[in-house]
Amino acid sequence: MQEYEAERLSAPQLAAMRRSLTGGRGALTRRSLLRASGACALALGGLGALSACGIPPAAREGDGAAASDDHSAREKRVTFSNWTEYMDVGEDERTRPTLQAFTERTGITVKYTEDINDNVEFFGKIKPQLAAGQDTGRDLIVVTDWLAARVIRLGWAQRLDPANLPHAFANLSAQFRSPDWDPGRAHSYPWTGIPAVIAYNAKATGGRTVDSVTQLLDDPRLKGRVSFLSEMRDSVGLTLLDMGKDPASFTDADYDAAIGRLREGVERKQIRRFTGNDYTADLSKGDIAACVAWAGDIIQLQADNPDIRYAIPAAGYVTSTDNLLVPARARHKTNAEKLIDYYYEPPVAARLAAYINYVCPVDGVAAELAKTDPATASNTLILPDRPMAAKSHSFRSLGPQEETAYEEKFAALIGA
Amino acid sequence: MSATDTPPAPPAEEAAPARPVRGRSLRKRLVPYWLLLPGILWLLVFFALPMVYQASTSVQTGSLEQGFRVTWHFRTYADAFADYYPQFVRSLLYAGTATLLCLLLGYPLAYLIAFRAGRWRNLLLVLVIAPFFTSFLIRTLAWKTILADGGAVVDALEGLHVLDVTSRLGWTEDNRILATPMAVVCGLTYNFLPFMILPLYTSLDRIDPRLHEAAGDLYATPAATFRTVTLPLSMPGVVAGTLLTFIPASGDYVNAELLGSTDTKMVGSVIQSQFLRVLDYPTAAALSFILMAVVLLVVTVYIRRSGTEDLL
Amino acid sequence: MTQQQTTGGDVRLTGISKAYGSFTAVHPLDLTVPQGSFFALLGASGCGKTTTLRMIAGLEEASTGTVSLGGTDITALPPHKRPVNTVFQSYALFPHLDVTENIAFGLRRRRVTSVRERVAEMLELVQLGDFARRRPHQLSGGQQQRVAVARALINHPQVLLLDEPLGALDLKLRRRMQLELKRIQTEVGITFVHVTHDQEEAMTMADTVAVMNAGRVEQLGSPADLYENPRTTFVANFLGTSNLIEAEIVSAGTDVVVSAGGGTLRLPGSRCPAPTPPGGRLLVGIRPEKISLAPATDAEPAADGRNRVTGRITESSFIGVSTQYVVESPAGKALQVYEQNVEHRRGLAPGSEVVLHWDPAHTFALDATQDMDAGVQSVEDAA
Repeated sequence: MQEYEAERLSAPQLAAMRRSLTGGRGALTRRSLLRASGACALALGGLGALSACGIPPAAREGDGAAASDDHSAREKRVTFSNWTEYMDVGEDERTRPTLQAFTERTGITVKYTEDINDNVEFFGKIKPQLAAGQDTGRDLIVVTDWLAARVIRLGWAQRLDPANLPHAFANLSAQFRSPDWDPGRAHSYPWTGIPAVIAYNAKATGGRTVDSVTQLLDDPRLKGRVSFLSEMRDSVGLTLLDMGKDPASFTDADYDAAIGRLREGVERKQIRRFTGNDYTADLSKGDIAACVAWAGDIIQLQADNPDIRYAIPAAGYVTSTDNLLVPARARHKTNAEKLIDYYYEPPVAARLAAYINYVCPVDGVAAELAKTDPATASNTLILPDRPMAAKSHSFRSLGPQEETAYEEKFAALIGA
Repeated sequence: MSATDTPPAPPAEEAAPARPVRGRSLRKRLVPYWLLLPGILWLLVFFALPMVYQASTSVQTGSLEQGFRVTWHFRTYADAFADYYPQFVRSLLYAGTATLLCLLLGYPLAYLIAFRAGRWRNLLLVLVIAPFFTSFLIRTLAWKTILADGGAVVDALEGLHVLDVTSRLGWTEDNRILATPMAVVCGLTYNFLPFMILPLYTSLDRIDPRLHEAAGDLYATPAATFRTVTLPLSMPGVVAGTLLTFIPASGDYVNAELLGSTDTKMVGSVIQSQFLRVLDYPTAAALSFILMAVVLLVVTVYIRRSGTEDLL
Repeated sequence: MTQQQTTGGDVRLTGISKAYGSFTAVHPLDLTVPQGSFFALLGASGCGKTTTLRMIAGLEEASTGTVSLGGTDITALPPHKRPVNTVFQSYALFPHLDVTENIAFGLRRRRVTSVRERVAEMLELVQLGDFARRRPHQLSGGQQQRVAVARALINHPQVLLLDEPLGALDLKLRRRMQLELKRIQTEVGITFVHVTHDQEEAMTMADTVAVMNAGRVEQLGSPADLYENPRTTFVANFLGTSNLIEAEIVSAGTDVVVSAGGGTLRLPGSRCPAPTPPGGRLLVGIRPEKISLAPATDAEPAADGRNRVTGRITESSFIGVSTQYVVESPAGKALQVYEQNVEHRRGLAPGSEVVLHWDPAHTFALDATQDMDAGVQSVEDAA
């Protein structure tokens, strides 16, 4: 088995790949951390303590050493951290059929925890252990691509062994195959795709359609009843597209222009808020008439409220992904890889897709679903058809300085 | 007074045999300190150390990749304050307003529970803390429903033309409350009200009801009794309650995030965003220390002014 | 001392009562406290005396009846409108105010000018000039008590109400404060209504004492009158100690002759409750200190014309000024006798046969239908 061929890889991407192959010890060992905090304690009260407490560089080159620590053969188990509502649940609301079937087939027990609610929070939770070169106690995590990019960039994700991933290699949809932050999917596989599109409450708009960012920002009848997402890549990405720029390749000036466009909306009080997940209730009530929304939420909302509509902007939309990663030092890498591969078998993927309402990154699912769940099979928010997939864009990965600078500008925009 | 005096020293000739006795009493005298030890250790490890760590972070420069190094870069403080002073001002303003509202709402309730509730007292106290049984987040989200556009509250206030006035003052916008300063202040008031009521209740409950009778007997009208007896005697509770409300409210960001808008963000939001999104740890740490200093300053001035140092 | 400005008038309670649900704390009672008198409400705890006082102060609403002061009905007035002030049990001083401000409290509420001079005067009266700036918790119990009195008196109330004002003090201090309060009352001439459970305190201080029991006034009168002429067993036992002997009337006249315990006793007819038909029953009472003791072996134990009872000493206790004996006799199981320790008496050890004798004029009689022990127990309760 091979990684996807990275034909169109840039020089830095290739360099990154090579680096990840060579591997090396982490810069921050547990001992050095202990030394640092010990020094803090000793010099407590004196300003001298302050200089002893630097934060060591986080980046580490590769993870060769971690691979030899795989206990998969002896310990037939895997610990899987995921977001809530991201797994199929049986009729009795207690069992998880696909996971159960996995255990029955492989003998590997899965400890499944829904302990991820927020990327930044979760990163804050696992960062200390990863930075210290320790096991996080998790063999498999699911994080959004910008965070996945950061984790990979910092050398905190284990390189996956393609030999254990035949289905995944074969069935991953083309649109997800080679993100610029993980060329050839060397460290990650998508769990779901998350399109950010435009949603509106037809009752609140008086039956009118809202289908572009321009309309969100300029339609006076929507004044004060528009929200954008506080996820920078989704809000700025859609705005860039609306301005005719490609989120996969934009410049600093383009970014500033998009921020400026949004700021104008804030200042004119057109935009009411930047929201996290809490926009759904506002949209359903009609307090928000139109907004940037995640596709999965729309499907959920539509089930409860027939007034909720969505529109795919003609200029295109942004799809981000939630990705499976094996954190550095995880004890059961091979077991984790087997689990990833399992979810890329079309029947399993179809069972999952029918349940969780997000874009399924697995080819061959449409045929499976058409047999069991034709409604889901025809929902382009779950299985994008060709015209829709063509409008999907992804936000390019950002360098560390770039990321900080962009996040800072976005934070200033949203008031914090 | 004289009861607390130490017993007279033993005569000189007893000095020699008294030594072991003194040793034992020394050990006895150390007992309180041994009992303090776990608390001191706890504070040291979980309060002092993180503070030192954050203080250090605030004067570092660097990035997540290159690591952060102490460079004694105190400019971070000046820059952070210059960049975010609107949020500081807003935090103090919102927290102060919410504290005042908590006091106005909480005092009558605490008074009622302490003096008038009779056998309902325990039930009322449980009701006061009942909101704590659900999560802070859920409680705050519930306010989105209460204050929803076109909801009962908004309709009522609109009907009374209250929203016209508040909109002109900039507290609300057009005819909505959500995503305005008023919503944030409402949320803060609601969430921190129990922190006001409980200390108020405790200090009111400690007032001997006969003092009210004595005041009435000495020609004080009920209003005068409140002004000259009840209120002064409840000052420790007022001070404790305002501090317990004001301090956490000024650092809160959940209410501003969920009920507010871009121009109602408080300094807590900034710190959160600098720490978790922008990954600018020094600025976040510096902001935390500035907030701490500002709150300490406000609190010190307040305690001085209220003249309750000896009551606390 | 300051000019007494009370325009006068008695405190008059008419048919006043207080009920809490089904429990009646005070049965309808009529009471008049003459202006300028030192009036004591005496009774065991729970007898309704404090409730009565609080109804005068307005701190308790009367269930029935009226309170009037100098002919004005004040029943409906709230406490702060009544020209009456109270010294509370354990004082209720304002802990956040110093002595001066505590005392000035009432004047300030009435916006009286010249507060400073009047407070100084009052501090002088209660001899607390040096403590003007202390807070209450920095004062001893006695000092606090005097502040409480000053705080009330400075207002020149028509009536000063004192609710067990000395209850929290130790015995010696209590004695001193009793005299001091009496001095102050004489000096200012204001009507004092004093609630206490301590019969000695009531008798020392008051011109008139109302003995209360179970929500009713049992008897009202001067201390000496109550002591010498108790009309109920409760009063006889509650005020001091009485020996009560069950007796049957033999003959009535100027003197009444009764038989008790195999002998006969005489007493003045004027000290008997109304009808005294021969064959009727009486409780004959005699105070222990009125009885003399003589050993039965004495040749001439007592002069003729004295009441005599024979018995045997079962206990004797020496308490300094006197010796107290308990004597068992056919007339009563445990008669109490107090003998002044004027000279050493031989033959009065426990077990000795003795003769008790006393002047018939000192004998009183009570209605025999009452409980003989009423008021005995309650004294011990309260002590």
